[in-house]
Amino acid sequence: MEFDSLNKKLEEKGSNGKLALILGIIGLAASAFGYFQAEEQFYFSYLTAFFFWGSIALGSLFFTMVKHLTNATWSVVLRRISEAFMAFLPLMVIFFIPIIFGMKQLYHWTDVEAVKHDALLTKKAGYLNTTFFYIRSAVYLIVWTVLARVLYKASVRQDTEGHSEALDKKIKGTSAAGIILFALTLTYAAFDWLMSLDPHWFSTIYGVYIFGGAFLAAICSITLVALSLESKGILEGVITTEHHHDLGKMMFAFTVFWSYIAFSQFFLIWYANIPEETIWFLHRVEGSWKTVTLLLVYGHFLVPFLLLMPRFVKRRSTALKVMAIWILFMHWVDLYWNVLPNFSKHGMHFHWLDLSTMLGIGGIFVWHFWKTYRANSPVPVNDPKLSASIEFTNF
Amino acid sequence: METAVKSSVDVKAHGAQLIDGNQTFHSVTEKISQITEAGTPKMWYVGFGISVLLLLMGFSMIGYLIWEGTGIWGLNNPVGWGWAIVNFVWWVGIGHAGTLISAILFLFRQRWRTSINRFAEAMTIFAVMCAGLFPAIHVGRIWMAYYMFPLPNQMAMWPNFRSPLLWDVFAVSTYFTVSLLFWYVGLVPDLATLRDRAKSMFRKKIMGIFSLGWRGGNRQWQHYELAYLLLAGLATPLVLSVHSIVSTDFATSILPGWHTTIFPPYFVAGAIFSGFAMVMTLGIIARKIFNLEEFITIKHLERMNIIMLLTGMMVGYAYSCEFFIAWYSGNEYETFTFMNRAFGPYAWAYWTMIFCNVVVPQAFWFKKLRTNIPFMFVATILINIGMWFERFVIVATSLSRDFLPSSWDYYSPTVFDVGIYVGSFGLFFTMFFLFIRFLPFISMTEVKGVLPQADPHNYKH
Repeated sequence: MEFDSLNKKLEEKGSNGKLALILGIIGLAASAFGYFQAEEQFYFSYLTAFFFWGSIALGSLFFTMVKHLTNATWSVVLRRISEAFMAFLPLMVIFFIPIIFGMKQLYHWTDVEAVKHDALLTKKAGYLNTTFFYIRSAVYLIVWTVLARVLYKASVRQDTEGHSEALDKKIKGTSAAGIILFALTLTYAAFDWLMSLDPHWFSTIYGVYIFGGAFLAAICSITLVALSLESKGILEGVITTEHHHDLGKMMFAFTVFWSYIAFSQFFLIWYANIPEETIWFLHRVEGSWKTVTLLLVYGHFLVPFLLLMPRFVKRRSTALKVMAIWILFMHWVDLYWNVLPNFSKHGMHFHWLDLSTMLGIGGIFVWHFWKTYRANSPVPVNDPKLSASIEFTNF
Repeated sequence: METAVKSSVDVKAHGAQLIDGNQTFHSVTEKISQITEAGTPKMWYVGFGISVLLLLMGFSMIGYLIWEGTGIWGLNNPVGWGWAIVNFVWWVGIGHAGTLISAILFLFRQRWRTSINRFAEAMTIFAVMCAGLFPAIHVGRIWMAYYMFPLPNQMAMWPNFRSPLLWDVFAVSTYFTVSLLFWYVGLVPDLATLRDRAKSMFRKKIMGIFSLGWRGGNRQWQHYELAYLLLAGLATPLVLSVHSIVSTDFATSILPGWHTTIFPPYFVAGAIFSGFAMVMTLGIIARKIFNLEEFITIKHLERMNIIMLLTGMMVGYAYSCEFFIAWYSGNEYETFTFMNRAFGPYAWAYWTMIFCNVVVPQAFWFKKLRTNIPFMFVATILINIGMWFERFVIVATSLSRDFLPSSWDYYSPTVFDVGIYVGSFGLFFTMFFLFIRFLPFISMTEVKGVLPQADPHNYKH
């Protein structure tokens, strides 16, 4: 990849994007093959992969909106990256389709017979029923698609038309309303798509928990792109160590935030020790799941918490890259740990479908990212805060 | 690129315009030091007098409480936790805005915080003092209050380390210590300024002792900045941890309405919400009395209003989440508790809370209202009332309708509940009046740092 200074766009030189696309197609094809081998496993693996890549796009949408609303300066040079990630959200509509087919396997509450004999599920049937679930899911996906499209288009318009008060107002207004819609849709999507996998269990913090992971994953992804541009010598002096440093700080902060929320959820349930709540964690300390649980404690919290603390880690590209990849991996483990114990109840059993679904959606995700990122100028050239963002230094 | 460069200059110039009225370094020193040096305004005596009277009333009621026991409060059989815990949580919550402004906004490079951080931090310290009052007196036998601390003793008696109430002791005392240190470190250069300006020997000596030999040398500034940054870093987790631990007082129990996982972040958001309301209330009064409109500008107030709008929606989110999950859980006790909150005997308190905390801040969507000082003054007071009711609703509704319907009862406060609460305001405002009279309640050094002249490139353009 190379920076074409004439058109102010990135030009494809190698075949990274194509490679990702090919890998994606191979992954999807393999997953389709796996579907016939192990249908139920396929749906659970697929849901994990779907939500993993979706969460990066969702976190990026949040990143974009927050930066607009707070008038942030430092992050202006990173805006196109987060925008290109959130541009994946419309594609989530397509990737959601297999979940519709897997309702019966994924969600126990879709089984009308079972609900009849289950007092709790009968009570919940007003909310947990297939029709309402589809309506809600459609609302989430439409809201995200609209937000991503409107914000992306407005941002690109700034490149061609220049900065104007009217445009600024539009972007800010969309972000303000968007952030409220985002909070509600993400919360209820987390309840519907993930929490209701275990339809008896409930936790009020669950939406915040999923948000914490999603935003952290988005920060890591943005960092990885920034570092990969640096390694290719693109945007040198535009996205600098100072920006990496700030991304590193965000990574640290949201590692702590995720851990704080995850701990709050675990701790309050553990302490009160009410069986209807503890059951969720009991499943997750059963057999080899216990190892995964401990891996999350150490890998998703302790290791990044300690390693991201020193200043030099955040300012050295290789170290920061390792941390970003590690945390992204942990984010996947986290989602896996949320979803899969509903399928393999007595211990973790890794299946190649877990990998192929990740590769399948991930390949498309990465290909789509670079395609979108290349389509326009890699930084918002007419943003009035651009040069302040380029010159920005940490104190 | 041309336009981008040009407008970035505007942004810089705009960013530097945090303080109004073409201030110079000298005028900042004069304006703020004056308040502590000139004669005492009559209004100060009035305000201080009233506060001290309230404080005395509060303390005499506490004396009676210690003499008689907690029976003089409105506590009854199912409601064993009344205003004392409500007031404690409310006051601790108030303090959180001070720490957020001084620590988190500092780390977020929000330089507009400079003209409000000093008195917001002072507010934190005084609010935590008021909060600490209630656990100390609610035990009834105050001479046993030291039992709250894990002190080695010949009876080998220890507090229960698994009790959230003990964690409160640690959380709040850590919070108080760090806040005090942070506030004091920030004060040192300003105290040195007051020392250098002092006319009387006595004042010079006192200010000299407390400014720790500050000379304003390069190396001293370097250490000072580093210490300040480190303290900001240390104070940041406290913004989250203190009220999270306070929330575990309720959430670790199995009582419907108390036990829910969202409590820690929900309490933190509420704390910041109410704290900002209090900072606003105090700030609006102080800028009026001392004519500091150029320092605490309408932009500062507007930004704080936006933070209240945000945190108000966060608590609204938590209320709705709790309500939804209470139904979704399918647990009839949970469902009952929440229906009882909204439509039971305490419905008036619940809807007061919803109105003050969720409805009122929505007005701040409109620029007209968030820049309207009389409106925001009323709104901040309503928000503080609402946040008090939030804690009251949590405590009273869940306790008064416990698992055994035969023991249900309605809780109403006595004159002593109200009196001691009002007395805590006496303590708070007595401290605050002393503070604004004797110490610079806006940070001179930090305000100078955001003046355009402080930018080394300022004169190049």
